Amino acid sequence: MPDDKSEILQGTLDLMVLQTLDAMGPLHGYGIARRIEQISEDVLQLNQGTIYAALLRLQQRRWISSSWGTSDNNRKAKFYSLTKAGRRQLATEAENWHRVSSVIGRLLRLSER
Amino acid sequence: MLTRLHVIASRIRAVFSGRALDEDFDREIRSHLAMLTDDYIRRGMSADEARRAAILRFGGPVAIKEQHRDDRGLPLVDATLQDVRYALRTLRKNAGFTAVVVLTLGVGIAAVTSMFTVVRAVLLRPLPYGQPERLIEISETNPLKGWTHTVAAPANIADWRARNTVFTDIAAYVGVDDRGASQLERFLAVNGEPQPVHGLATTGNLFDVLGVRPLLGRTFTWDETFEGQDRVLVLAYGTWQSVFGGDPQIVGRTVSLSGRGVTVIGVMPRDFFFPNRTVQFWSPIGVAPDAFVKMRRPHWMATVARLRPNVTLAQARDQMRTIAAELERTYPDTNTQMGVRLEALHDIMAAEARPTVLMLFGAVSVLFVIVCANVAGLQIGRGASRLREIAVRRALGAGRGRLVRQLLTEAFVLSIAGAALGVALAAIAPAALLSAAPTALPLFASPRVDLAVLLFAAALAIVAPVVFGLAPALSSSQADRLTDRRDAPTRRTTAARNLLVACEVALSVVLVTGSMLLIRSLIHLQQVDPGFRPDHVVSFKITLARVRYPKSADQVRVFADLEQQLRALPGVDTVGAASTLALRGYTWTGDATVEGRDPNDYERELRHKSVTPDYFRAMGIPLIAGRMLTEHDGAGSNVALVNETLVRKYLRGADPIGRRIRFGRPTDKDDPWTTIVGVVGDAKQDGMDKATQPEVYVPYAENSQNPATFVMRSAVDTESLISSARQTVRAVDRDLLLTDVTTLNDLVRDATGDERFRTTLLSLFAGVALFLAALGIYGVLAYFVCQRSRELGIRLALGARPTSVFSLVVREGMQPVAAGVIVGLIAAPGLTGTIRSLLFGVTPLDPTTYATAITTLAAAALIACALPAARAMRVDPLVALRDE
Repeated sequence: MPDDKSEILQGTLDLMVLQTLDAMGPLHGYGIARRIEQISEDVLQLNQGTIYAALLRLQQRRWISSSWGTSDNNRKAKFYSLTKAGRRQLATEAENWHRVSSVIGRLLRLSER
Repeated sequence: MLTRLHVIASRIRAVFSGRALDEDFDREIRSHLAMLTDDYIRRGMSADEARRAAILRFGGPVAIKEQHRDDRGLPLVDATLQDVRYALRTLRKNAGFTAVVVLTLGVGIAAVTSMFTVVRAVLLRPLPYGQPERLIEISETNPLKGWTHTVAAPANIADWRARNTVFTDIAAYVGVDDRGASQLERFLAVNGEPQPVHGLATTGNLFDVLGVRPLLGRTFTWDETFEGQDRVLVLAYGTWQSVFGGDPQIVGRTVSLSGRGVTVIGVMPRDFFFPNRTVQFWSPIGVAPDAFVKMRRPHWMATVARLRPNVTLAQARDQMRTIAAELERTYPDTNTQMGVRLEALHDIMAAEARPTVLMLFGAVSVLFVIVCANVAGLQIGRGASRLREIAVRRALGAGRGRLVRQLLTEAFVLSIAGAALGVALAAIAPAALLSAAPTALPLFASPRVDLAVLLFAAALAIVAPVVFGLAPALSSSQADRLTDRRDAPTRRTTAARNLLVACEVALSVVLVTGSMLLIRSLIHLQQVDPGFRPDHVVSFKITLARVRYPKSADQVRVFADLEQQLRALPGVDTVGAASTLALRGYTWTGDATVEGRDPNDYERELRHKSVTPDYFRAMGIPLIAGRMLTEHDGAGSNVALVNETLVRKYLRGADPIGRRIRFGRPTDKDDPWTTIVGVVGDAKQDGMDKATQPEVYVPYAENSQNPATFVMRSAVDTESLISSARQTVRAVDRDLLLTDVTTLNDLVRDATGDERFRTTLLSLFAGVALFLAALGIYGVLAYFVCQRSRELGIRLALGARPTSVFSLVVREGMQPVAAGVIVGLIAAPGLTGTIRSLLFGVTPLDPTTYATAITTLAAAALIACALPAARAMRVDPLVALRDE
């Protein structure tokens, strides 16, 4: 069902944004949305606008910061970059994610038998 | 944790920079969409297609922005601020409506808040003493003498102090009248120029009992109570400042108090007073130590006592009653039936004003309810004309809760504006009240806007909109369909407004009836004959310094001399003097024996005054029988005049001339007999509403009293008369001052000052209530006529006579009035009953008053109905039909 694809957890989107900024360096909202879509190979079809809710959340927590700049195509755009606190948060969350996903993976494998 | 703080901080910051953030986010979204569009164009779409696809891909920019705004700031605050801004905008657009509501609310809140400052000053604000609630006043009672609250005898006080275990101590003081105003006048000589100051004479333990420390120096010791050690003085802060210019070296300075050298030992703190601010200094009573043993007959000391910790007032009452009973057994001669009365100091100080203050506060609260009802009526009326706006907003998706909140916000904005206006008015009102009626409040009370008053006004500002705003908001938010805007809500709102009008009318009936009862009381009171002719008479008091005139013969001589010189002034008709002026009470009272009566039968509480022969002529008090006093009735002549009440009560109407009275009991055989040589008319003594008591007038030369009050009857204008009197007095002795200068007309007027104060205020409240009720009636009916103009027009077109349309409208308007009057008439007797103690010569159920009140109300209501009804008569059928 198409609905399932777009239903991603809030925390997951936040984590993806953090990871994207860590990997790509400063990037604008459009770039982040594109990148997530590409990486997920269009498994995740999100309304690109929803990315801004995540960006606001992360900014409020001071995990990312923003400033206006110019894009490759010479357009004014707001660029987001990871802060020190954001980098720390990414490390913690990635570790959490690995732990949880390995547990869930094992669980799923167990029940498949 | 820190992260959460960051979020909150960020949200709060966002509230204050909403617009900038909106613009920023707008730009960001535009740039995002532009890049997305570019992408699609690159993939080969046309510009239009690309733009549409981009928006689809982005997903509803408006919704995203809305969401962003909510997530970014504090939605509740944002919405409230938005509501406030919206309310301000709509209210500004309806400036007329806003002005009426704010003004009505402002006046209402001002009235309640002003009265609250008075209630707070009189009843609520603690007295400036240590643990003031533990302070008790002890007075004496005696049914034989008609005493219910009388100052105590020194020897009784001494025994109370010795025997009780319920008080830490009892202090006694003298020098104030019934209202607590200082009557102890002294002259402080500073740089040779004597200044009159009023004080209080006290036992040395007063300040310890009150639990107050001086600002400078020390207070009295117990030993300083007595003569020989009493040349010490404690100053009030104000006296220290005004008389001594705040001299920092004041403690230890010796000053001249009416010619007697005394040492200033202390200055009290600025906010201290006892018992009120008419007292400018405190000095020891200065009696002989044995006064507290011997003096059981003269009652002249007020007391204040402090309850021991853990002792209740009831326990103290029990023990003091037991002690009084013991004293009664031990001293039957003086203490027969002598009881004690214990009251909390604050209660007794406020006792006289309490009924007036509570009545006025009650009245003003009723007025405030009327104000709220009136504003509610206005709101409903406006809500009805806003139905279209509200229906449109509902159609556009505004929830009912959201609309109610917005309408309530509007009500709050109105009430806060009203409260601001109200507090501003209330800040100046008490001062204006006091200057208009200086004696209306107890002397210790100084009304002012303090924190409690501000909180009270704030509470009103919060409660009021709930009262006047909620019902209208609920009713008008119901408009759900645009088609609904004509009939159903109109009927509903009309019913609601009629109910409000009925309430207003009912409450107005109560206020108007109450005020008319007070007005009738005042009229009765002003028709009371004072017993003297006050026109063209001035009076003033002169106090002689005992140091300069130690013997009574000296005092008699100086007063006679003064009288003679004053009489010689041009234009002066008559001059007399008395120890106490009419309407100012008595000089002293005592037992009296009427010659020829049963030896055990004697009179109590005979009032004494000393007068010069011309006092009665100057006052215009008529001679009823016998002769006036003359200059030949000197010391030892033992003659006196009496008033008519004495003849009636003591002599039972028998021919008084030549009868003899002894000022004492039958057993006091040493006292001489005094012969009645004449009878004068009754003159009022304690107040215009008090019955005259038996009174005897003895020649000044027989019983000299200091101070003396002079009365001068003269056609000369008051100002110049007083100034020439002042010169004359100072020519006799340059240290003499005229105090208590007044015309007798003012004296009579001041005697009803309290009554005029409360009558004026209540009438003002009732008038405003009446006006508001009329306004409410008018509002409902004007709206009715406007809504029904088509129907009225058709009626007129079909040949209805204009007068029948007129009466139709009036009937419509008078329906809620009639209902309100009936409810008011049921409620009023219960409420007017509570002011029985304030009435004079009229009962709380006086039928004439009720009839007048209803007539007044009906007249006001009819006028309010007549205006819209007249307009209804002139409705042009054509115009009315075309409008639809």
